[in-house]
Amino acid sequence: MNLENELREALRREAAPEGFADRVLAKTRGAGPMWRRPVVLAVAAALVMTVAIPSEVARYRRREQRRAIEARDQLIQALAITRVQLRHAKEQIRRNTRHTL
Amino acid sequence: MKTALLLIVFALAAPAQQNFDFSKLDKLGAKAKGSTNITLDGAMLKLAAGFLGDDSDKDSIQALVKNLKGIYIRSYEFEKPGLYSKADLAPLRAYVKSLQWSKIVDVKDEKETTEIYALALPNDRLGGLAIISAEPAEFTVVFINGTLNASDIDKLSGNLGIPNLPKR
Repeated sequence: MNLENELREALRREAAPEGFADRVLAKTRGAGPMWRRPVVLAVAAALVMTVAIPSEVARYRRREQRRAIEARDQLIQALAITRVQLRHAKEQIRRNTRHTL
Repeated sequence: MKTALLLIVFALAAPAQQNFDFSKLDKLGAKAKGSTNITLDGAMLKLAAGFLGDDSDKDSIQALVKNLKGIYIRSYEFEKPGLYSKADLAPLRAYVKSLQWSKIVDVKDEKETTEIYALALPNDRLGGLAIISAEPAEFTVVFINGTLNASDIDKLSGNLGIPNLPKR
């Protein structure tokens, strides 16, 4: 009997609080500013990326180009120094040979 | 157990022996009035070779550096003699010897010495080239690691479109 009463108590009809239906309806209508909608946010993010990515790629390319130019200049200078040293050695050998002859 | 330990020691020592620590020479740069430091490892060499543009000797230079692993140049000019000693260059000499490179040129003048070391490979190829040129108030070290043809050395000491450096 006791259980029966408890169940009846728990399952009895109860009226919804005042304005409950209106609040639920307002939420389901997607209330809130337009810009906060996920689709709008996704489009905005895509637009930002289409502007940001190419400029970042261009900046990376410019940086790599600068590095390559610097490396090329160093290579030319390194080969020039090597050439000077080899010629210098040749000259020294020639000079020494002339002395000993 | 001892053999295993020795193997571990050799395994650890082998990679360390592959590269000379040029920072040992760089310290001398602080005392120099003029210096040139060039460090071009494999990646930088590739980058540089790919950016030679329309240079008439582009192909020759690209062929020359194709099989190189690195080019290292240290050139220091000091205010007066005595600001560096022969001992400063000893570690590099020892390193080159440890690589089993042969001294192919050893010229000593009154004041200057030039040594050229190279690793001879079959088919007129070299496995590397090192030049140590020392005068009382200046020295230049050229260390080229990698394979190059003996004819490339001739080309280098010729012209190869490389601009002349002003005489010091």
